[in-house]
Amino acid sequence: MSLKRMIVILCGFYAVMGILPLFVGGTDYIMNILIMILIWAVVASCWDVIMGFAGIFSFGQVAFYVVGAYSSAILSVSLHIPPAFSILMAGVITGLFGVLVGLPCLRLAGPYVALVTFAVHMTLVPFLRGPLGRAIGSGGAQGILTVPPINLFGYYFSAEQLIPFFYLTLCLTIICTLVLVVVIKSYWGTAFLALKDSENFAASLGISAFKYKLMVFALTSFITGIFGALYAHYVGMLSTKMLSMDVFTILMIMMVIGGIGKYPGVVVGAVITVTINQLLAPLGMYRPLIMGAIVVVLVLFLREGIIDQIESLLFAKKKTCSGGK
Amino acid sequence: MKKMRLIGIILVIVMLAYTQAFSAETIKIGVPLAETGAYAGSGDNYWKGIEMATNEINENGALIGKQIEIIRFDSQEFAPEVVMQGANYLCGKMKVAAVHAGWAGWGQDIKAYGKYDAPFFCDDGAQPAVDVYKSNPEKYSNTYFITDTGGDQANSMFNMLTNLPYDYPNKKIVIINTDDAWGMEVGDTLTKRFEKIGWKVAKRETVPYGTNEWGPILTKIRRINPAIIHIEIPSSQEVITFFRQFVKQPTQSILSYGWSITPLEVLTTLGKDADGIVGEMPAGMPAPKAPNAQAQDWVDKYMSIYKHPVPAGSWIAYTSVMAWADAVTAVGDEYNFKAVNKHLKEVGYDGLQGKIKFGENNTLHAQSAAPIVHYQVQDGKLVALFTDPPFKPYGEYAFKVPRWIKK
Repeated sequence: MSLKRMIVILCGFYAVMGILPLFVGGTDYIMNILIMILIWAVVASCWDVIMGFAGIFSFGQVAFYVVGAYSSAILSVSLHIPPAFSILMAGVITGLFGVLVGLPCLRLAGPYVALVTFAVHMTLVPFLRGPLGRAIGSGGAQGILTVPPINLFGYYFSAEQLIPFFYLTLCLTIICTLVLVVVIKSYWGTAFLALKDSENFAASLGISAFKYKLMVFALTSFITGIFGALYAHYVGMLSTKMLSMDVFTILMIMMVIGGIGKYPGVVVGAVITVTINQLLAPLGMYRPLIMGAIVVVLVLFLREGIIDQIESLLFAKKKTCSGGK
Repeated sequence: MKKMRLIGIILVIVMLAYTQAFSAETIKIGVPLAETGAYAGSGDNYWKGIEMATNEINENGALIGKQIEIIRFDSQEFAPEVVMQGANYLCGKMKVAAVHAGWAGWGQDIKAYGKYDAPFFCDDGAQPAVDVYKSNPEKYSNTYFITDTGGDQANSMFNMLTNLPYDYPNKKIVIINTDDAWGMEVGDTLTKRFEKIGWKVAKRETVPYGTNEWGPILTKIRRINPAIIHIEIPSSQEVITFFRQFVKQPTQSILSYGWSITPLEVLTTLGKDADGIVGEMPAGMPAPKAPNAQAQDWVDKYMSIYKHPVPAGSWIAYTSVMAWADAVTAVGDEYNFKAVNKHLKEVGYDGLQGKIKFGENNTLHAQSAAPIVHYQVQDGKLVALFTDPPFKPYGEYAFKVPRWIKK
């Protein structure tokens, strides 16, 4: 997708999101959905960059998200660091963690990277629940139930103040989206794509697989960590339930719906998935059934995700006009 | 054209009738339970009690002249944002008059529902949840814990195990618990209590849900040959596989399953093979014979509707709905939360086993009207041996030494 179209879609999305609280600001239920859309949109975008663009089959995205959440929560609860700083520090910690996970992955290919990163995901639960986790302040099995709200210049941002929190999240989302767009459309993005298509050919052009793969791990885990931390201070409580397969599956559905490597398709995927998932919650067991059916239909009929359809809908007229000229 | 107009008119009439039918005044109650995921089985047990109470109220002329309408929400596996969204949906959007849950998030739920004023009944049964309540009792005053904490229940388990009419061959116990708040709380309390009376906790094993291969642990247990093996895993699959593998080469041990005896699948799968295992149910209904005729009628009705014995959670969830309905009847307005909460706390409710009252920290501590019931599996059924408090033998039922213990 061209940069122009990408920006048009993203600007349209954030503009609509930005004005929605004017109409639904009084409904906590809807505001919660909107905030979760913003958070998941960025987390899923990072996954898309690493998997869809760089071609690294990382299954550690939820783990990075949880590391960010727990890091900030522990820093602010145990060490009393103000959340505004702990969020940033959580990003750095998660970035370093991403590099640590990325290093062994550089020697591996395809499914083996998936295995290693998923193993990281799986080991986080016993780590956080066990004596080691408790020693660093994870709260063990009960989790952390007293994560403080963000305090900026005397203003509080948490689930108790939904509209301020929404706009804070929106600002951070826009900044991170801009960073991701710049990366995707820069030399880095081209290098990622080259490595994805043919690592040997990319190497012959002077692209260092080591450097760029490590870079993508560091950047995406940094941003994911920031949003994990933001989530922690939003809900004010954390538990290892965040590492459940349900969360992992939902994130994956966002990618499938949006289209893997079809940025900003994943943002649209996040909107659709979070909204449907939340709206279907009262339907109980029919929720996973319907979600599953949606994925099956999409895989069968829209393998490239929904973004191609949206693109052709939005820009079809223009295409015809320019074709006519 | 005429046909189209006719269809149009019919459609409008149908829509109007539909709207009319649903606009009749009802009292909405929220039911956030796990309907999918690992905790769906327990969620279903609570649901049956809530559904039975609601149907009963509606069939008996409704509550202050209004039918009760249940609004469900799938709490899935209690991820923090899902718990919070459940509260926002039920209390914020649907404006329910009360929330009746079972397992609801072990502390996260207290914060989520504490934002609102509607009475919130949960069966967190864990100290972390009570600690959240204690952090701001005024804010969370709409919370009602419908069973004791894991620690208190473990104290009762200790009483039962040390009061069994049985001479233990040694003073060694093995404790296996899950790595969640409940399992840890029970495991820690039992460890402390047994060590205090001079027993040796020969092995303490914390296992994740989904542990089904017990070979390595059983090898160590066979080497230890403890007098008691206590297992606290509130999930059927794990405890069934443990028993199957244990019984191939059993040790001379009393097998204590704690709460783990109550998931329905345990007895329906193991049947008479499980004879001899002991376990408990908080806020339970003694069986097979209920303590009085009224309670027996309820048990019979439950079994005729759901075709199985009463599992943990069903009876106390039923009682919670009834207690809330009683408070609403006394107050006369389901949305006068202050008065409803006051009635619930001060007056209590005359339940099937006597008058129940919420005590310290809005918790329904074990009491004679909602006792902790200690069972043994006999002839494939749960048979009550003791009730607590006061700790006393129940009815004419007696403990039988398990068949794998050779004299």
